[in-house]
Amino acid sequence: MRNYSLGIFLALMAPTLAWAAPSPRLALPDFTALAQQATESVTITLDAALLAMAGRFLNGDDPQDAATKDILKGLQGIYVRSYTFDKDSAYQQSDIDAVRNQLSAPGWNRLVQTRSRKSQANVDIYIMVANNQAIGLALIASEPRQFTIVNIVGAIDLDKLHKLEGQFGVPKLDVDVAKVPTPSIKK
Amino acid sequence: MSEDLESRLHAALTPVAPRPEFTQNLIARVNADKRTEANTRGHRRSPKATAWWLIAGMAASLLTAVGMQHHLQSRRQTESGLEARRQVIEALHITSEKLNLAYEVIKSQSSSPADDRSGV
Repeated sequence: MRNYSLGIFLALMAPTLAWAAPSPRLALPDFTALAQQATESVTITLDAALLAMAGRFLNGDDPQDAATKDILKGLQGIYVRSYTFDKDSAYQQSDIDAVRNQLSAPGWNRLVQTRSRKSQANVDIYIMVANNQAIGLALIASEPRQFTIVNIVGAIDLDKLHKLEGQFGVPKLDVDVAKVPTPSIKK
Repeated sequence: MSEDLESRLHAALTPVAPRPEFTQNLIARVNADKRTEANTRGHRRSPKATAWWLIAGMAASLLTAVGMQHHLQSRRQTESGLEARRQVIEALHITSEKLNLAYEVIKSQSSSPADDRSGV
């Protein structure tokens, strides 16, 4: 009887517990106002269904398509917001901070942080790890005339991401993938 | 004068027997009319056949509509799929571009540490 009650209690609490668990999906703000100012804007919202649909249109015989198809396996969403402006400082840092603040939540680990005084390009790469598996990736790149936010949700195989090298011009980052889930990650 | 008129009228209205071929002609004409009527009746569709053609026409229209709907849906799905594919490739391209940017900063950091700062 006690076990039965515990079961019901857990069943009732499940949605709450699920809500409390950190999500690799970022709540991207509405950048409509910025999009209107931008000379170029990219808004990509691909959920699991659209990714599956895209996968069906990738040709396995083509090397680039095959690599892309391989990466899509296990992904649940890809969200990109990218804005390019014709003048410097067209966007506020607070626009990005709304996203950056979410990455201070438990579960997110900063993988790479770069700051360039010369080009004023800042890139932050975060991953969320669960059970020694990257389940989310967030990338924030801010330059004087451009800012980009990428959020990839799902089982991300960083080795496969490395395999993208040469396919989309992805460089080989000197990141030890095996060490990603360990505490050696700088945060 | 009146007697003359009366006799002339009487003569004019005297019954005359029909010619011998009159009856034959009449019977032939009646038979011909009957045959024409029978032929016309043979060509006219029965209500059953009309209903069948109506149902067949409706079924054909329905099949055409379903086929068109299926074709349009399939076309829409293809368009959505190709658009999703394009977006996936663009998203990965942007991601790779930004990873490249990070890489360039890391690379330049190793050559001139004063300019750039990075943590990996």
